[in-house]
Amino acid sequence: MKDNVDISVDFAGIRLANPVFTASGTCGYADELADFMDINVLGAFITKSITAKLRKGNATPRIVETDSGMLNAIGLANIGVHKFVEEKLPVLEKLSPAVFVNVAGETVDDYVAVAERLASESAIAGFELNISCPNVAKGGIAFGTEPEQVAKITSAVKKAAGEKVLMVKLSPAVTDISVIARAAIEAGADALSLINTFTAMVIDIETRKPVLANKTGGLSGPAIKPIAVYLVNKVYNEVAKSTGIPILGMGGIMTASDAIQFIIAGASAVGVGTANFIEPGCAAKIVEGVKSYCARKKIANIKELIGTLQDS
Amino acid sequence: MTNNCTDAKRGVFLATVKANKQIGQRFYRIRLEFLGAAAEAFANSKPGQFAQLDLSGIALPAAKNIPDKLANTARRNILLRRPFSFVDITCEGDKTLVDILYCVVGPASLRMTTLSAGDSVSVIGPLGNGFWVPEGKKRVLLVAGGMGVGPLQHLAKVLTTDYPDIVVMAFAGARGAGDLPFEARLDEIAQQLGFSLPEFAKYGIESLVATDDGSAGWHGLVSDCLAEWLGQANFAGKDMIIYSCGPEAMLAKVADTARAKDIDCQVSMERMMACGIGVCQSCAVECKAGRPGKTIYKLCCKDGPVFDSREVVFRA
Repeated sequence: MKDNVDISVDFAGIRLANPVFTASGTCGYADELADFMDINVLGAFITKSITAKLRKGNATPRIVETDSGMLNAIGLANIGVHKFVEEKLPVLEKLSPAVFVNVAGETVDDYVAVAERLASESAIAGFELNISCPNVAKGGIAFGTEPEQVAKITSAVKKAAGEKVLMVKLSPAVTDISVIARAAIEAGADALSLINTFTAMVIDIETRKPVLANKTGGLSGPAIKPIAVYLVNKVYNEVAKSTGIPILGMGGIMTASDAIQFIIAGASAVGVGTANFIEPGCAAKIVEGVKSYCARKKIANIKELIGTLQDS
Repeated sequence: MTNNCTDAKRGVFLATVKANKQIGQRFYRIRLEFLGAAAEAFANSKPGQFAQLDLSGIALPAAKNIPDKLANTARRNILLRRPFSFVDITCEGDKTLVDILYCVVGPASLRMTTLSAGDSVSVIGPLGNGFWVPEGKKRVLLVAGGMGVGPLQHLAKVLTTDYPDIVVMAFAGARGAGDLPFEARLDEIAQQLGFSLPEFAKYGIESLVATDDGSAGWHGLVSDCLAEWLGQANFAGKDMIIYSCGPEAMLAKVADTARAKDIDCQVSMERMMACGIGVCQSCAVECKAGRPGKTIYKLCCKDGPVFDSREVVFRA
């Protein structure tokens, strides 16, 4: 019964064996997770953010646990696009999941430089544009909160990205996320991913200082899941459904039932993030769990489930 | 260490709790049993390596057993795993027993105290790189601060088994007698080097206890105790190596002493970490790189937790 369920999805023209992604920054460059799971069971893989030049990242502490969540302020630590191509791409090339590269930078030119360098690499299916990182002084979220800025950077990277799929990752820390989503789509985005983390803070009451060296960090994990489900549903109803643009839904997904909530809300695919830190093989379990759910609900093809939230 | 590693791989394993015993007021020693591939993986692990325990589903102790200082935080949900190094590893047939020394510092370690024989715990490991023994060493000094004595006890055992010709000595320090995770009556411990702590004496290793407040052993910082001992000793620096684990301020002082005496020194670092497997990039340790003044971040979980002290830029 379970074997007859088709959970493959068409995501902005890319055929994926299943709708489960691992989210950027939570699965490294794939090599680190290989001891704990078969990466090839994933639908797609998103690298950690890549910038034009190597970034050391922020001082420590870079994380702190919170109630059912965690804050991180890594600061886009990465090896830079050239080393990525030399050292990491050959490994990613051998994987069967579609590979998305998360692109970040301090200026529009930085983003464009990364996309241009990677546009001709056949191992890469697409880019995820990081305009929603809350943990860097320049760039990141600064590009993701004003519709004009979103349009400007999206169209610039779209030109550089050539044939590659361009997905834009949205911040929840805006007045109306649909306005940002619309700006991205009108500027050429092929897909949307949401949500990135919420800017947040934890204070040590003994020292009266923030726990994180960066003062603030991005809140992720189960604590943000209900907000993420709501925002995915909002963007689906207000923007994505009418334009046919697929949504990669994420925010606190730990289990298959979490993933299914996002799909019902309107996500064509789901991203597993923080959960990778706790159960490095959990994405494989989520793939199986989604399949089991479809079998139990007599859903032959997962497309029948996407965006099917019922009236209460 | 002798390299008897097989292809035994790290992984996510289920362990069975065999014992969970309180030591003094604040410390516990838990024994985990592994079977199959996990037994093989942990049998080959090295002193200084660690494992990530999932304590999220473990019950809280009864309210009356929650320390006052944790009254406000005890009920917080646990999301992330917690890293622990090993105080001892023993193989019994096809089983591997991993002992962990821990103390109650927050809501996760508080839950850990309620585990009892027969319970299951999810463990990721063994992780990171342990201590290593460079060629030509004749004398080892183990320098521990508080809980840092755990992996050094494990190292003591492996050194006496694999390197019988190396002379090992241990320095164990803490703020006060109550902060030392030993079973012995610490107020009765000798003030001088001798076969004092049973935890080291059983391997034929002399030990010296130091407390900041003088409530047990030598009165003062263990790093100062080490420096004073080295000042009186007459050994060639190149023949010696210091292995140290404890608070970062202590490690920095031990590293300074080692550098001044031209002694190799390895330190086991600690950082807040989420994944423990090199993915999240949380546990950065600033390290010197190439030209003076230039630094890079290495990862405590993957590149460490044991580092050559000369490469670490210790946090102020």
